[in-house]
Amino acid sequence: MTDAKRPRGNKLSEPEAIERAKQGDAEAFEFLYNLHKRRVYSLCLRMTGNTASAEDLTQEAFLQLFRKIGTFRGESAFSTWLHRMAVNVVLMQLRKKNLPVVPIDETTEGEEEGTIRKELGAPDERLAGSIDRLQLQRAVDELPPGYRTIFVLHDVEGYEHNEIATMVGCSIGNSKSQLHKARIKLRDLLRVNRAEKAGKR
Amino acid sequence: MSSGKCAATVTAMLMLVGASLGAENIRKDLHFKVGKRPMISINNPYGPVLVKAGAAHEVVVTAILHSDRVELDQSKSHNRVDIVSHLLPGADPASGIVEYEILVPPDANLTLHSDNGRVRAEKLQGDLTVAANDGAIEVIDCAGGHVHVRTLNGMVSLNNVHGHVEIMSVGGDILMTGVTGTLVAVNSNSGKIEYEGDFAGDGEYAFTSHTGNIEAVAPAYASIDVLARSTNGIVQSDFSLEPKHAPFLVRGANSLSGTLGKAASSVKLFSFSGRIRLKKRQN
Amino acid sequence: MNCLQFENALSDYLEGAGSSEQQAHLSSCSACSSLLADLNLISAEASSLRESDGPAPHVWTALEAQLRREGLIREASRPLLPDFLLRWKTAWLVPVAAALLIAVGIKLYQAPRIGDNQPLAKNVVPRVPVAPVVSVDDKDILTTVASRPPAQVAAYRNDLDQANAFIRDAQESLKNDPNDIYSQQLLINAYEQKQMLYRLAVDQSDEQ
Repeated sequence: MTDAKRPRGNKLSEPEAIERAKQGDAEAFEFLYNLHKRRVYSLCLRMTGNTASAEDLTQEAFLQLFRKIGTFRGESAFSTWLHRMAVNVVLMQLRKKNLPVVPIDETTEGEEEGTIRKELGAPDERLAGSIDRLQLQRAVDELPPGYRTIFVLHDVEGYEHNEIATMVGCSIGNSKSQLHKARIKLRDLLRVNRAEKAGKR
Repeated sequence: MSSGKCAATVTAMLMLVGASLGAENIRKDLHFKVGKRPMISINNPYGPVLVKAGAAHEVVVTAILHSDRVELDQSKSHNRVDIVSHLLPGADPASGIVEYEILVPPDANLTLHSDNGRVRAEKLQGDLTVAANDGAIEVIDCAGGHVHVRTLNGMVSLNNVHGHVEIMSVGGDILMTGVTGTLVAVNSNSGKIEYEGDFAGDGEYAFTSHTGNIEAVAPAYASIDVLARSTNGIVQSDFSLEPKHAPFLVRGANSLSGTLGKAASSVKLFSFSGRIRLKKRQN
Repeated sequence: MNCLQFENALSDYLEGAGSSEQQAHLSSCSACSSLLADLNLISAEASSLRESDGPAPHVWTALEAQLRREGLIREASRPLLPDFLLRWKTAWLVPVAAALLIAVGIKLYQAPRIGDNQPLAKNVVPRVPVAPVVSVDDKDILTTVASRPPAQVAAYRNDLDQANAFIRDAQESLKNDPNDIYSQQLLINAYEQKQMLYRLAVDQSDEQ
């Protein structure tokens, strides 16, 4: 949403909105919210797979941000600061609910590899070409929570493995291997979905 | 649908409705005889409105009122039926709910208005006008009439709809599958626009948004004349279009212009800052 | 190298640490080549989910209420506007109708469909005046909806802001080239959205 960051006529820019929000300006808060709400909400939705939770977490992330906005000095991009806050809010929520933030036990790999081995030698059904975004969205929602977290943080949101490892409390190696498994799982889900659709036609 | 099947459907609906009746709910059953192409209007601030094609010449209404804070005003004159959920003093979005299930003649012309309830229209052939604030709107298997949808933030979903279609939304997403016609016009602000279909019918397809992304999935055999542009968003296409003269400068990743096949239908995808993607359907 | 060995080391390959054996296997194995292509595609397409959804209006409503409760929002309350109900029913129509008439005039002047062989770039159409968004009547219409539930009012205000933002962006776009059919279409659509908002507010007021 690059247009939203540019001033619209005599309307706010992001730096102006931040300064005015520090003074308690309602319009400035709303401007900042509208500027970043889609990114934050999409992150929460992808991580939780649940609309109601995503809405609560979006609200909580912005609330924490606005409580601390007086301390923002512009050392990093505001969006980066907000985004990190949103990720932390989501991860805390997942931990509270005892949902796996990332699979710790690497011996669970055996089950996955067995599945993959069965695929080898199967008729070649490539996804290659393009992926329907809605189907990808649904497939991500079907991922186990631990795989979903890593996939969303790395492939969707663009965090590096060292950052993910710090945020979720795992090793860089674990982050890489779980990402790989998440992608394999998504491929399977997308192929099943495509086969079902083809069967319906 | 035959009278026998219609009666069975109504009975089934009534049984379902009966099973869900709470202690405070009030049920109303209405029945009207109408002529050809009747005009039917339902105005329901709170609660779902589900309309389906039934027998010719009769309108069957089943309404579940959630409290005595709302009453049904009904009127019939000539070939027109009007039903309004009238909120009494003290009504609120919970106590004001009325749930409607309505069977209408397939050729009926309908106007449905709901604030935050779900609206669903199925298997209709007449003109359909839907206005809603937040509730989801679904139009399924309708053909032959004009379909006009206005919503603020409700999701709009059209499936297998053929005719003249105009949709306007502020924040609600618009999803279209198998929608064709002489005109399919979608006007969105931040709601995303998604289309999957053939762009058939030698029609004009115009999807415009302010910030909402636009995604259209078409088959390789589509016959379309494409013009796409986004001031601040990227425009992408899976197709190799035949170049053609465009009414504006086609520059870089923000616009494209070209034809596919015999260019039978016009496809305009315009956004101010949304991303536009024209994708090829994978069979 | 066989397929199982390739697949076990695929994670390293995708991180850019692949071996020559893996490369050699890829060139001769369609299944593994297909797997690699699919995983790359999934990774590439994932970023499309980044801003794919937006929260419902009530999220902002609840957030704003909490910010006020905590004293983070600090502003003087605005005085109530006088009752314009009788006057605005015609007055608000005037500027919006004028803008729409101009916009409709543009549509009527427009060339036939783009697919026809017409010199579209040479369309001569009336200049669209860059009219300011009518903020006074926005305040009037907000007064009309003020008696509704707070969540509805907040949502309506948000929608009005969106419609006004669309009009502003379309007007800016048209300033650069008044004959640009893309900018004209955006402005027409923007005004139509605003009209829809006004109409829905009026219709619902009449019913209450």
